[in-house]
Amino acid sequence: MEKIDDKYDFSLYEYHNLLHQNILVSYKGPIDERIMTVIGDNIEIVTNDGNDKARSKIFKIFMELAQNVWLYSAESCTTSSGRRLGMGTLVIGEFGDSYTFVTGNVVRNSDIEPVIEKCEIINSLDRESLREYRREQRRLAKDGHNKNSGNIGLIQVALTAESPLDIELTPVSDEESFFSIAVKIKKSAAK
Amino acid sequence: MEDIHIKGMHEAYFIPSVDFEVATGRCEIAGESYLEETTKFYTPIFEWIKEYTETIKGPLTFDFKLSYFNTSSSKCLVDILDMLKKYQKSGGQVTVNWYYEDSEEELEEVEDFIMETGLDINKIPLEEE
Repeated sequence: MEKIDDKYDFSLYEYHNLLHQNILVSYKGPIDERIMTVIGDNIEIVTNDGNDKARSKIFKIFMELAQNVWLYSAESCTTSSGRRLGMGTLVIGEFGDSYTFVTGNVVRNSDIEPVIEKCEIINSLDRESLREYRREQRRLAKDGHNKNSGNIGLIQVALTAESPLDIELTPVSDEESFFSIAVKIKKSAAK
Repeated sequence: MEDIHIKGMHEAYFIPSVDFEVATGRCEIAGESYLEETTKFYTPIFEWIKEYTETIKGPLTFDFKLSYFNTSSSKCLVDILDMLKKYQKSGGQVTVNWYYEDSEEELEEVEDFIMETGLDINKIPLEEE
């Protein structure tokens, strides 16, 4: 069989092995509503170790975080019909008694500070205060004071996961960084 | 004034089933809500409520049976509840039932809607099928 000459410096086998251990689903590329629906529906299938509540939680979290990558990633492509699709990485892993869902995308350093602040506020609040924060932010968004509905999405994610938003920012250049959010969902979710 | 009947769909987007009856004032929103243009989808619903509460002025019973709605839809749901609260304040008869699956998180969300809008909402557990 003829080999590809300039074969990418990349072993698919190693990539597979890297993912094989704990990863149930991984996707990298442009995100649109079709990708979201396909992966969203697959979550049901791959998370059959958890209870119904855990499954519905991971679905809800997936929908909010994947939407944020789609809308806010600094890396994007444009379809032939002119739609802008954000690019990013989505990973659903299984570690012991919980699932972890991670999304990551490139962000402009000048844009990311408010998002990080938002995540830090969310992580500092207890459940009651988080609910109050969601009510307040929803009011603000509805009254047109806050166009960025991704904010409520992040509060929702923390409430649904019942765990903090584990954020990481890795600089990739002077202008850009790779931003990721990981959340953990217990397989035996009670709420 | 006409009824609204929208058939729910789970495709690239999730369209909730909507059934609003002028004659009885019975309104149901069911299924899943994740839409391409959320406000655009809900606008005819807002307009229906506005017209009904301004011209028909009959009783309204709202049944919410949503198994999933994204945060963007939740804003429109609050808008609907706000309109119902306003109608109730002006003397309109309003009953709101929220059907939930066995989930504490859903209950919290309904309680937050009650706090956010000041509207009474009956919380009714959905029977397991």
